[in-house]
Amino acid sequence: MDIKAVSAQIDADIQEINSLEALEQFRLKYLGRKGLVAELTSAIPGLPQEERARFGQEVNALKNKLLSLIAEKQKTLAGSSGQAAQAAGDLGMPGISQSLGQLHPLTQVTDEICAIFNRMGFSIVEGPEIESEYNNFTGLNIPLEHPSREAFDTFYLKNYTKMLLRSHTSPVQVRQMKEQKPPLAIVVPGRVYRPDAVDAAHSFMFHQIEGFMVDTGIKFSDLKGILEMFAQAVFGNDIKMRFRPHFFPFTEPSAEVDISCIICKGKGCSVCGRKGWLEILGSGMIHPNVFKHVGIDADKYTGFAFGLGIERIAMLKYGINDIRLFFENDLRFLRQF
Amino acid sequence: MKVTYNWLKEFVDIKIPAKELADKLTMAGLEVVSLEEKAGDFVLEIEITSNRPDWLSVLGVAREVAAITRRELKAKNPKPETKIAKGNLRIEIENKKDCFLYTARIIRGIKVGPSPEWLRKRLELVGCRSVNNIVDITNYALLESGEPLHAFDLDKLNPEKIVVRRAKAGEKIITLDGQARNLNNNVLVIADKAKAVAIAGVMGGQETEVTLDTRNILLEAAVFDPIVVRRCRQALGLQSESSYRFERGVDLGMVEQTSLRAAQLIREYCFTQGVFFNSSGLAKCKERSVKLDTARAAEVLGVTIAPAKIKQALSRLGFAIKQKAKNILDVGVPSFRQDVKLEVDLIEELARIFGYERIPVSLPAVKPQVTANAKRALTSAIKEILVGLGLSEVITYSLTDKLTLNSLGFGLGVQPIEILNPLSQEQEVLRPTLIPGLGRAVSLNFNQKQEYVAIFEVSNIFLGENKPQEELTLGIALSGTKSFLLEQGLVKDEAGFLNLKGIVETIFARLGISGYTLNNQGSSAEIRIQNEKVGLMLSLSPQSLNKLNIKNKNVFMLELSLDKILSFTRRDKKFIPLPRYPGIARDISFILKEGFSVQAILVLLKETGRPLLSEVRITDYYKGRQIPVGYRGLTLSCFYSSNERTLAENEIQPTHELLCAELVRKFGVKLR
Repeated sequence: MDIKAVSAQIDADIQEINSLEALEQFRLKYLGRKGLVAELTSAIPGLPQEERARFGQEVNALKNKLLSLIAEKQKTLAGSSGQAAQAAGDLGMPGISQSLGQLHPLTQVTDEICAIFNRMGFSIVEGPEIESEYNNFTGLNIPLEHPSREAFDTFYLKNYTKMLLRSHTSPVQVRQMKEQKPPLAIVVPGRVYRPDAVDAAHSFMFHQIEGFMVDTGIKFSDLKGILEMFAQAVFGNDIKMRFRPHFFPFTEPSAEVDISCIICKGKGCSVCGRKGWLEILGSGMIHPNVFKHVGIDADKYTGFAFGLGIERIAMLKYGINDIRLFFENDLRFLRQF
Repeated sequence: MKVTYNWLKEFVDIKIPAKELADKLTMAGLEVVSLEEKAGDFVLEIEITSNRPDWLSVLGVAREVAAITRRELKAKNPKPETKIAKGNLRIEIENKKDCFLYTARIIRGIKVGPSPEWLRKRLELVGCRSVNNIVDITNYALLESGEPLHAFDLDKLNPEKIVVRRAKAGEKIITLDGQARNLNNNVLVIADKAKAVAIAGVMGGQETEVTLDTRNILLEAAVFDPIVVRRCRQALGLQSESSYRFERGVDLGMVEQTSLRAAQLIREYCFTQGVFFNSSGLAKCKERSVKLDTARAAEVLGVTIAPAKIKQALSRLGFAIKQKAKNILDVGVPSFRQDVKLEVDLIEELARIFGYERIPVSLPAVKPQVTANAKRALTSAIKEILVGLGLSEVITYSLTDKLTLNSLGFGLGVQPIEILNPLSQEQEVLRPTLIPGLGRAVSLNFNQKQEYVAIFEVSNIFLGENKPQEELTLGIALSGTKSFLLEQGLVKDEAGFLNLKGIVETIFARLGISGYTLNNQGSSAEIRIQNEKVGLMLSLSPQSLNKLNIKNKNVFMLELSLDKILSFTRRDKKFIPLPRYPGIARDISFILKEGFSVQAILVLLKETGRPLLSEVRITDYYKGRQIPVGYRGLTLSCFYSSNERTLAENEIQPTHELLCAELVRKFGVKLR
């Protein structure tokens, strides 16, 4: 039998096959118990001695060719779910990946708030933590011997007179307004210090974000608009807000800003002290005396300023009940954010 | 401060329930922090801001209620006394700056005893303990008007004269709370001819206290300088209802009236045979007025309030209004409103009474400045890289104690900036390094059974050479063993110097910093860029680990000055064309005697291999059975390429052989 002719026939046949059934028929025809290969093999013993080896090899090659053609065809017919794809195995085993670290929750909140104001056109500026008494107090219209300073108990430096650790981020207002001419739209994140005994609600070191805007025609209603956008961006669109008159030496009129309690939605719970409102920031129109200190014409320009505590926002946002957790740096805490 | 609903009603007709009143007060800036129904009345606890001492009285709050509920304040002036005799008491004020006004009313023939029921009840409602009728009446008048009063037992005083003066050095007094107080020149006292009998504006003395036996009293009503009272209070650590009000400013205009009101109550409830009155100092303060442009008010607030409403609100608050021109009002400021100095102060009053909630919401046109904040961008780029590398950010305290700094060996050589008034030892100094704080965080986490700690912090360190300086610094701490569960099973990576180096390399590569060196100094290595020291890598000493209570682990730390590396960053990227022709990679494996630096080998090969050698990397490293002691095995991968053609094997052969020969010649390596 002409092996070459058979081989050519096989090549032709395999082209025609387009179903698994047809492939099985093909396999039986050539490789089945009574198939062509079996027939050829059984013919070997009848061949002359000198031809047996060569013929045997040719039959073997033919058999291998058939096996590989069938396998190949099977793959094509079976599509992607063919034998070659690896089984998923036990997916209960831990996944393999690089583990990411994470930013501190206070950084995440700071970044989020800065980004919101950045999108509204505010620049982000920072200032030194060691400040002069002037920038921290006097320039902000806080008289040195006045009860209004009580809220700003301050760490002073020992060997440097009238130098202190800033008790709020507001001194950066003074610096920026001296350095730059209006229009100004700036937010200032940073660390601040006050000699408070440490407990679940107090820390001698904490973080604030200060924001201010100075231009001609800036109004109290603008302050309301900007802060409303901010609160909705951080706490959601259904949050309610209220502005209450308050006193800050560096703003007039001044306002404290509350949002409807994010826990009880204003019904009253232990987080908001049954009030339904949470105080989140202090704000107001920049006091003309502050403008006077920095050399901005208070008849021409007006501005607003606001300040908020990052820890406070983070505690509300994440439901954290102890401010000390932020500075203990327990990885079991940090990894939750 | 506490007031009651019924007490307020004596001054103004309130037609709204207590709850609604509390809400309205809160929204007008008198934050009602609690409202409690008690004994047929309601007690409102109000947080009063420090600029409004006039609100530290029932009268002041009632005036506010009148304005926000649009009603009139009921005048409750006591009838002036006719035929008041001037006593023969002399009042001397040593310095009129310390005491603006001092009045003394001598009341004779009184009978001290318990207060009437209504008075006791009302005082108790607002948290004031009843003592006796005289003391209770002075307290009542104080709470009602905001003007502190003090009653002395006249018979225990030298009646000749009252002196308001600074205490003498070494002078002593026992105050009403039974405490002996040592006085000095900063303390203002009320004295008779012989001795101090009270600390002015703060507390009376025990010796002249009104008791059940008291027959005659001297009733003091005065105004002291807020700063003097503040200093006394701070120096003596003694606060009272009186000092609280004096520090914030007491209305000069209420002094006589309050004294009179108390005298009349005393006459009514304690009998009185005779009253005499003396005073010294200013009787009244100067009248002031502030101009208000109502158009300006509309500009600042973003809402126009009708002129009639403006006038009505201000006059209910006690201001005297005169129309000067269209939109221009001349607003007379009453003596109890020392806080009102500028037009904006009046604008705030309008906004408060109009209601902040009724001011509309608008958005300003922001003119953004787009100058980027380079330092902040650098910080956030580094933080992102580190988070990507699996490190957790921590925030540790900037203040620390000297002992920790010294015991960890970091106080040496640097004089940290000291805090003048720390509350505790942990706040003694500003840290000159991030390392102790990171060390403590590592220790805490090992105590919490962590196997591996990889943390970083970016914050200021503080150095004080000539003037205090802040340096923005990155601190990293690595310690313990990191486990990876891979297909082939558990793989462990113990933290070490090379992990730190890897982090530094990644950061510097991302920031475009090149040309840096690591100078090995044993258990630490300096990081230098163009010969400037920018940071340090180190392994904590056994003593430090011991102090931090870290056992059986090494801790590797890095400190890098971000202020210093900022100028070396190059974040503008430039495209290098991809190679056009394939190259050939050839490995060299050899063993190297310990003591030779791999860095030197790489430098030599790069030099020698030019121009065909385009890259050489260390691709394997081993020590073990096949390697003799004192040697290490290394495999380098050399990559040859050209920009002009595809290289043939025989072209690179001479170079490659030269490299191998040089390695043998210069470093004595044994090729494998």
